[in-house]
Amino acid sequence: MNEYPRIPAVSRIAGRPRRRDASTTRSDSSSASTSPERGFDLDDDKDSVMMQSNDSLSSLAPSVAPDSDDNNDSRRRAIAEQNRVSPVSRLPAELMIAIFAKLASPADVKNCMLVSKDWAGNSVGLLWHRPSTNKWSNVKSVIHTIRTANSFFDYSSLIKRLNLSALGNEVSDGTLQPLSSCKRVERLTLTNCSKLTDLSLVSMLDDNRSILALDVTNLDSITDRTMFALAQHAVRLQGLNITNCRKITDESLEAVAKNCRHLKRLKLNGCSQLSDRSIIAFARNCRYILEIDLHDCKNLDDESITTLITEGPNLRELRLAHCWKITDQAFLRLPHEATYDCLRILDLTDCGELNDSGVQKIVYAAPRLRNLVLAKCRNITDRAVLAITRLGKNLHYIHLGHCSRITDMGVAQLVKLCNRIRYIDLACCTALTDNSVMQLAALPKLKRIGLVKCAAITDRSILALAKPKQLGSSGPIAPSVLERVHLSYCTNLSLAGIHALLNNCPRLTHLSLTGVQAFLRDDLLTFCREAPPEFNEHQRDVFCVFSGVGVQRLRNFMNTNGQAEDTDTDDFGMNDGTMYHEEDEASDNMMVVTAQANIMAIDEMDDEFGNDSEMIGHD
Amino acid sequence: MAATTTTSDASLIAITTSDGILMHVERPVAERSILIKNLLEDLGGEAPAEAIPIPNVNEAVMKKVVEWCGHHRNDPAASQDDDSDSRKKSTDIDEWDQKFMQVDQEMLFEIILAANYLDIKALLDVGCKTVANMIKGKSPDEIRKTFNIQNDFTPEEEEQIRRENEWAEDR
Repeated sequence: MNEYPRIPAVSRIAGRPRRRDASTTRSDSSSASTSPERGFDLDDDKDSVMMQSNDSLSSLAPSVAPDSDDNNDSRRRAIAEQNRVSPVSRLPAELMIAIFAKLASPADVKNCMLVSKDWAGNSVGLLWHRPSTNKWSNVKSVIHTIRTANSFFDYSSLIKRLNLSALGNEVSDGTLQPLSSCKRVERLTLTNCSKLTDLSLVSMLDDNRSILALDVTNLDSITDRTMFALAQHAVRLQGLNITNCRKITDESLEAVAKNCRHLKRLKLNGCSQLSDRSIIAFARNCRYILEIDLHDCKNLDDESITTLITEGPNLRELRLAHCWKITDQAFLRLPHEATYDCLRILDLTDCGELNDSGVQKIVYAAPRLRNLVLAKCRNITDRAVLAITRLGKNLHYIHLGHCSRITDMGVAQLVKLCNRIRYIDLACCTALTDNSVMQLAALPKLKRIGLVKCAAITDRSILALAKPKQLGSSGPIAPSVLERVHLSYCTNLSLAGIHALLNNCPRLTHLSLTGVQAFLRDDLLTFCREAPPEFNEHQRDVFCVFSGVGVQRLRNFMNTNGQAEDTDTDDFGMNDGTMYHEEDEASDNMMVVTAQANIMAIDEMDDEFGNDSEMIGHD
Repeated sequence: MAATTTTSDASLIAITTSDGILMHVERPVAERSILIKNLLEDLGGEAPAEAIPIPNVNEAVMKKVVEWCGHHRNDPAASQDDDSDSRKKSTDIDEWDQKFMQVDQEMLFEIILAANYLDIKALLDVGCKTVANMIKGKSPDEIRKTFNIQNDFTPEEEEQIRRENEWAEDR
């Protein structure tokens, strides 16, 4: 406390009208962002202050010692005078930047730039940190400035985030090429800019050692060349999304794995050429991997999966949907007794080779799994479900759609031991009866339940779901917290059950009843959502989904019009065109689940956010 | 000051301001300053034998800061995801704070400097928001008038910057 280290304050002398070249005046960012000190000593260089503070916005902190000028008396006096006349000039650059950072609109920041040279120096970094590139006219303007030979600032070195995804396939190599002078870009997002090729990508990545995250989702022309460029330069890379970049092979990704060792998040969905070779390289070299999504990497074998789990002490999320070749061995080969406490999310959708023993093993090895997706793992039985119950209160999200061998017994055990389940899907578990749903109705936190094509269930189930719940053994009675209920093709349901559900679930925002005869009436269908455009005529005929205000309107209508008992049953047999719907319903559900799960993964909290994403699914 | 040997929450902390004034502040109020809090922690929880020198803040400013800390003494420790939303909105300042910040510019900037020095994040935040609100929606010339700033650009330079940052006009 006896020492009051000073950070260089900002010189207010109106001299030194030189161009601020950001790339030559960077300095250590840590001093500016952490030290609370201020001072009026004038041994400073304002540029270095400016740049170091700008840097604190980014995650970069290149270390260059700040250069310093000599003190001098006349400067000191001039500054004292200026501080008197204009009190704002007392604030050092870091605080001016903190103020400018509160301005939400780029137009306001730009106006600050035009105030004075000092202000310009302190605001330009914020303005260009992430230039708005949501419109073509903006992008053109940004590119024009970047290409200006004698620009006032070295703007290209200030851009840290670049996102052209809003322009999608309007973006060509000619668009990206001029931006390749921006060598300090940390986040490059090019989702759906599908015209881009290796040509511009390689020059963009060339010599960029700052990049932390690259998203080239659906850039299906890019090849190993782009990935080799990444491997060569992107030493700090933490996030890589190459979803559907089908031309990329093991060869380049192996190089990425060996050189980008800080990778944490990997999305390799649909990169169908990949095999165990590159995935094992990631597992062995990148020890910080938190999330890896290998959806549709159909060539993967058991070994890569085993290695990912054993070598990745931090692995939190593992997605293997449609990795068809995976067998029980992927998990059975895990070392005896070893546990992987970080693993929270496991998606094994459509890993059809999987049997009970594989599920048993992974549940034992990953006791803190929170989300488990086993949809279309058609071999699994109640034995797997009994193993899953070991997850106890950790389990929040479980998808068992199309696991049709599961019976009421399994569900009963699941409810008994995993009573924190918030999300459950049992679509097409055709062996289930009202007994299962009556058990499920007791889950105090259940928000979302999927029972599509559980054809055996009746109004008894729905009435149970509608019933208010007792919290704890002697707690207060609380209304149901159900938000989303999927009952399409539960053909035995009648108006009475749903009416009760509507009136007892105040939070209900989604109710799907496609193909339920009792609801295919014009007076009710007016509250139903529009069928998706790609549906054919028959699909439209049976489509019946209420969401948002539609639920509210349906509830109001049924309350005011009593329950006109519906006696008119099957004109369209439920088997008519079922195959069609099955595919449809199923794939929608899958998408929805994946989307939801993804969102949950991002948001620790809860399924809250899942709601919107599910809107994109239609059933 | 009450030189108690035990440091209960209500014990007083002595500080000296840059103009040599001795002030006594209740410990939980003083501890809104992370600088002071850390210092006290370093002393192992014992009341310091001497007054803590705060050489960058004068008495007038320190009084304002102490007033703010007193009013906010029971605020929950702001740590979590402060940064994410503090960058967004500048308008939402609670009423008491708005009133508190109705001071002349000299005092306003001194408070900001003091909050920065003493490491009182929430006060610094309120200060920055207050200044940001004074900037919002104004033209460069109006901003210069508000803060009495000299335009040191040549007309050509000003035009150049305007042109180079054209994209930012648009929302």
